[in-house]
Amino acid sequence: MDVNEISEGIFEVRKGGKKILATKNANPGSNVYGENLLEEEGEEYRAWDARRSKLAAMVLKKMKVPIKSDSRVLYLGAASGTTVSHVSDMLPNGIVYAVEFSPRTMRELIQLCDTRSNIVPILADASRPKLYAHIVEQVDVIFQDVAQPNQAQIAAVNAGQFLKEDGHLLLSIKARSIDTVANPSKVFKEEVNKLEKDFDTQFKIIKKHDLAPFHEDHLGLVAKKKLKEN
Amino acid sequence: MKIITWYGILTIGDDGVTECEPFNKDVDELAELLLQKDVVAYSPGSGFDIRTVAIECGFVENDEEYNSLLRDVSIRAAKLQISRTNTPDMQIIQAVEALDDIDDVVNVLSERLSEWYGLHFPELGLSSEPLVRFVSEFGSRNNVPAEHPMFEKATSSMGSELPSADEELIMGFASNACELYDSRHSIEASIVRNMEKMAPNVTLIAGSLIGARLISMTGGLARLSQLPSSTVQVMGANRALFKHLRGRATSPKHGIIFNNPLVKNSPWWQRGKIARALAAKISLAARMDVYSGELHPEIKVNLEKKVNFIKAANPKPPVKQKPAGKGYKGKNKGGER
Ligand SMILES: C[S@@+](CC[C@H](N)C(=O)[O-])C[C@H]1O[C@@H](n2cnc3c(N)ncnc32)[C@H](O)[C@@H]1O
Repeated sequence: MDVNEISEGIFEVRKGGKKILATKNANPGSNVYGENLLEEEGEEYRAWDARRSKLAAMVLKKMKVPIKSDSRVLYLGAASGTTVSHVSDMLPNGIVYAVEFSPRTMRELIQLCDTRSNIVPILADASRPKLYAHIVEQVDVIFQDVAQPNQAQIAAVNAGQFLKEDGHLLLSIKARSIDTVANPSKVFKEEVNKLEKDFDTQFKIIKKHDLAPFHEDHLGLVAKKKLKEN
Repeated sequence: MKIITWYGILTIGDDGVTECEPFNKDVDELAELLLQKDVVAYSPGSGFDIRTVAIECGFVENDEEYNSLLRDVSIRAAKLQISRTNTPDMQIIQAVEALDDIDDVVNVLSERLSEWYGLHFPELGLSSEPLVRFVSEFGSRNNVPAEHPMFEKATSSMGSELPSADEELIMGFASNACELYDSRHSIEASIVRNMEKMAPNVTLIAGSLIGARLISMTGGLARLSQLPSSTVQVMGANRALFKHLRGRATSPKHGIIFNNPLVKNSPWWQRGKIARALAAKISLAARMDVYSGELHPEIKVNLEKKVNFIKAANPKPPVKQKPAGKGYKGKNKGGER
């Protein structure tokens, strides 16, 4: 078994000829959702399954993840924290704001927060960032996985409020949550268009990749804010 | 201009923050303040960094302290929010769903019992709860006492004998189902109690169980109070349709308020109109329950007046218009007399 850091805080552990994506466990000895724990040279890693995480799928699709050990991350659509837990692993000196609007799901997320020192849970609707602008600071990265028809708008209003000028937006777009019948590539094109033009905050797309076979009909996207010319 | 942050109130002048009034550095207090309603009106502008100000004005010493305090406060606040979403109407919604779950299960069990016990006592003619109670009380038909109304049938039954090992099994099965019926009754009783406390007006107008179902279907009393009464009138219709398809209920066309005695016990041609009047009063009652929570008996009086008026105005079934057009084989086309 050997370990290779492929991006800050993200590792590839080789074990018996297989490469396993993993993060360094910030809460050694326990796993979060049944994932495997891997020991190597006195460090413990948590296996990170791309089928259960859009962000992990983006990593395997060679999309550059701009998260550093001291990043401030706003995570929209945290659900019960499967992916948030890995982001938390990547941020020994940073912090992640985890927004989720379902109280039922938040209940599980809070249990994760109790075991971690760097997750700030926020029970709120991500389409209304003013509801949590008194809590969230300016961030380096926004990661969004809300699977909602208005996801482009959600990205724009949050980036407008919280994203630093040189910060990055990472977005997972689910075709079927926008249009259940249309051809996904057409949906993706329209969504990209909206991100580039439709809202006050506009984006420059740096990279995009579909996330199959890990997630069917999903597009992963990395973008930056277009600077306002005046 | 003043803005609110999680750690205090900031006054912003032309060149930045002019004043910082920090809150008490107490996790519980900060958590309560985090949940204030009017944050939106005083929210920091786009691009304003609240962290640097917190450190500059000395609320916290450094980034580490900022992170750990904010984490503690937000976890506390999220827990408070969760416990506050566990309101009485959430209890009622869960209770209503539990009733439906139990119904599904006891239906399956009592159908099984009917088949099984039918081998032994086919003449019994009971189903659902009475059947289940009967079997768990007597077991073999030979135990039915002489004064029991089923005694005759039991002694002359053509069913096969029930060996005692099987009797034990079948009685155990029946008593499990009995417990489910018991549990169903106590859940129903708790719904009645909670509804009277939480939604006295809806209870008065719709009845506690129908009222509870309406709340459950809309996802809460507040949402029910916002629905137009035309929606209230048909709510539950598609659900009834599915139950009907599974052979469990009649009248798939109507919403659940058609189970209210005012509607159900009226002749068919008045039901639609009465249901409309009832739905209007339920909407009104839900708003009363949300806004004041006090009982307003006059809603019921007005409803009864309205119902009596409908009954007086429509004493007879309407004469059915003969459908005109293709496929109708009558001699006279509709319209002439
Ligand atoms: C696909 S799941 C996210 C899975 C998660 N990112 C992970 O990998 O572990 C989408 C989540 O977004 C939440 N959500 C949807 N719309 C939202 C909104 N407007 N505000 C906040 N959360 C939202 C849903 O409740 C759901 O939990």
